[in-house]
Amino acid sequence: MFLTRLTSSPDFYTFLYFAVFLLAALNISEIVFLLVHKRSIESSEAKKELLKHRILTAAVTVTEPAEILERPRDSAEYEAYGEATSSIIESFEGEIAERASRLITEFGIDRYYIRLASNQIWYKRAHAIDILSSLKLKTNRDFFFSAFEKENSNTVKYRILYGLSLLVQGKEDLYAVSKMLSSLPYLTAKYTEDVFFNIVTALKNSGLEEDFGSFLREIMNDAGIIVKVKRDCLSACRAAACDKAGPVVREYYAAFQSEPEIIISCIKTLVGMGDFDVLPEVLRHKDWRVRLTALKYAHLSDSDIKEDSKTLLHDPNHHFAVLPSILRHKDWRARLTDLRNAHLHSTEILRALKSLLHDGNYHIRLNAALALSRMGDRGLEILKEETASPDKFAADAARYALDGAKTAS
Amino acid sequence: MNHIILSPTVIYIAYFIQGIIFLYFIAINSTYTLLIFSALKDIVQHSYLSTTRSARRLLLSDSYYKPVSVIVPAYNEAEVVSNSIKSLLNLHYPEFEIIVINDGSSDDTIGILKRDFKLQPYTKPVRLQVPHAPIKAVYVSGDYANLIVVDKENGGKADAINAGINVSSYPIFCSIDADSLLEPDAVLKASKLFIEDDELIATGGIVRVINGCKVKDGAVSDIELPEKTMEAIQVLEYTRAFLSGRTGWNLLKSLLIISGAFGVFRKDMVLAVNGYRKTVGEDMDLVMRLHRHCLDNKIPYKIFFVPDPVCWTQVPYTLSILRRQRNRWHRGLIDCLRTNRVMILNPKYGKVSLFAVSYFVFVEVVGPILELMGYISIPIFYLLGVLNTKFLLLLIAVAILWGISINIAAVFLDNFNYRRYRKNSDILRLCLLSVVEFFGYREIMLLERVKATFSFRETSWGKQERKAH
Repeated sequence: MFLTRLTSSPDFYTFLYFAVFLLAALNISEIVFLLVHKRSIESSEAKKELLKHRILTAAVTVTEPAEILERPRDSAEYEAYGEATSSIIESFEGEIAERASRLITEFGIDRYYIRLASNQIWYKRAHAIDILSSLKLKTNRDFFFSAFEKENSNTVKYRILYGLSLLVQGKEDLYAVSKMLSSLPYLTAKYTEDVFFNIVTALKNSGLEEDFGSFLREIMNDAGIIVKVKRDCLSACRAAACDKAGPVVREYYAAFQSEPEIIISCIKTLVGMGDFDVLPEVLRHKDWRVRLTALKYAHLSDSDIKEDSKTLLHDPNHHFAVLPSILRHKDWRARLTDLRNAHLHSTEILRALKSLLHDGNYHIRLNAALALSRMGDRGLEILKEETASPDKFAADAARYALDGAKTAS
Repeated sequence: MNHIILSPTVIYIAYFIQGIIFLYFIAINSTYTLLIFSALKDIVQHSYLSTTRSARRLLLSDSYYKPVSVIVPAYNEAEVVSNSIKSLLNLHYPEFEIIVINDGSSDDTIGILKRDFKLQPYTKPVRLQVPHAPIKAVYVSGDYANLIVVDKENGGKADAINAGINVSSYPIFCSIDADSLLEPDAVLKASKLFIEDDELIATGGIVRVINGCKVKDGAVSDIELPEKTMEAIQVLEYTRAFLSGRTGWNLLKSLLIISGAFGVFRKDMVLAVNGYRKTVGEDMDLVMRLHRHCLDNKIPYKIFFVPDPVCWTQVPYTLSILRRQRNRWHRGLIDCLRTNRVMILNPKYGKVSLFAVSYFVFVEVVGPILELMGYISIPIFYLLGVLNTKFLLLLIAVAILWGISINIAAVFLDNFNYRRYRKNSDILRLCLLSVVEFFGYREIMLLERVKATFSFRETSWGKQERKAH
């Protein structure tokens, strides 16, 4: 009844005529707006690129770039300055980065972004915080702390914390940042690891590397900090080569035997520090993910066989398979020691790997075979024996690893 | 003209049907308009956040990634497969493998692959995690250690991707069509989201039309609209579907389709739903089952569309191929909705059921039938003398003008941030095609969809035809 009345009402037709007129006008204005917008965006982008080029050239070639550059006048110019200077700071160190920092304060670029960081729209605040983070200005530390307090959006808070992690000045900041982090829902492993990586790097640069070790020890039994965060702290240790935290990582390894994620992080961190002692044990761990992690490093373990190092150093059949991994160690003496013993892997590890070829897990079987293929003649002999194994899965894995070894040689 | 004298009841019913059509039209166009607005919001937001330092840091870093397996199912793709793989080998990504699955092609796809990439037998054991037709042989390229080719018996696209999943080594996989070209940073842009958000289980990038563009060394060099009107209209359709449709669904967290031409998935989740199901709409089916699995098991998850990773694909260049493609898409859609019918208007599936599934059922499936009924009822009502001609003409005018407005808005969304078509003449042509689409093209597509509705049980893909890029 309603529909019938509606479609026969004269007012309805007036409405339809109006709609036709309005839509026609809207279409024409949409096309005009589309073209005008395209043109204005293209011209402002071209201007911005030109300005960025000028800023980059001035910062790299002139001692006082502020003397030859014009102060920014509008938001587009501030954006160009923000992007150019943050690129310089991320790409250069020393004098050039300092010039860019001076330019930022002299031209008030940081103040522009601090103002933008109080905008009502969250993504504009997030954008401002990102630029401020990459400017890495120590003077912004207090601003980041206060911005975190005022901020409502968690998305922006994560960014503030990231910026703050680059400016940590000591133990107090470290605790403050970790407290702020625990007030937020867990985001991702990579994010937490990155935040702590920045912190460790900042502490190392200030000669306070030990502080991170003592922080790790203090949070070890803190039930308020979730296992994932502890795991990410350990990963950050490895990524930032925080060697002084080595003993604490060992303590974590002993204390968290029932937490595979922590054990995995400990293995990676300890191996990164050149400590392979845990490998034989973890190759028999009940969790397959732990065994898998250990397998990736099994070929780097130390030897329990002593031979004449001079002979080995000149024997290309032995150590070259693992050469790239060994050469990563920062201490040349460690590199040399490893190099000497590269092919001589612990009998215990070889035995463990052989039994892992028959593991129920596909990844374990395959990686055990690959680990053996990197272990010189003794590993290859085991693989050759296994190709005749009645266990089809083990034989397949052995054949695959042997093929790979043949291709590599 | 003498009209038949009708009883008031028949007149009443006729007016009632016209009213229903009117309301239906209002509902559909309002939905599209709302999607445009929500897409605009999403795109503006994305333009701010994707240009920030953190995004750039992600793109520049060589340690901030998860390795990705790129799975390329190929069936009779001899014309294009070599170029596509060469383009994939140029991806800017620190660690990836390409797995090409020759799905029992009857042409020389495998011969071309063997010749161009110096294939050698590969002995890596394959773990059977999801079902697929038997594998005849696995090869690895002598030139590129990260290129693996699987030669298997024919089983369809879903079956081929399942085989690729079994052969793959990495925790994330990207499935792309063999006739598509990825932009070098597409995988990086899509997979970085998996690092940023642990809850993300699937994402897809935008698929753009390669017809009309120039391809050099496996990469799209000059971007232009195709000359043929039918191909150019498809550019408009793709822009509308991806930028206003999928971006709009993002805001409602109810994305139901990740294009089979370019999607990135977390492998453990795809394994949890037993991989792809053999159907012609395998891409939508997988996403629907992922939603179901997570909601059934209360797993926090996200499925997002991201507008900046670009995959270029070849669209049909003849009407018969286009009709076959649209028929297949529509059959796939109906089959997915039928298989996952438990999600229709079921509060257990929340917003996904209420908005997205309802939209697909009532707009995409029921819509063509109602639209066809409209076309059929007009002459009948006219002959019966109950057609309100003024109403009809005004309604058609509003429908076309509103549709044009939605099309132009989609072109604007594309132009707002991405600006792929640089020439003003291309932009103006797209605006003109927004009008042209309503006269002929739309009706042909409508008939094909209706035809598909009544033959949805067919599972054939139809003959594939490709042109070299």
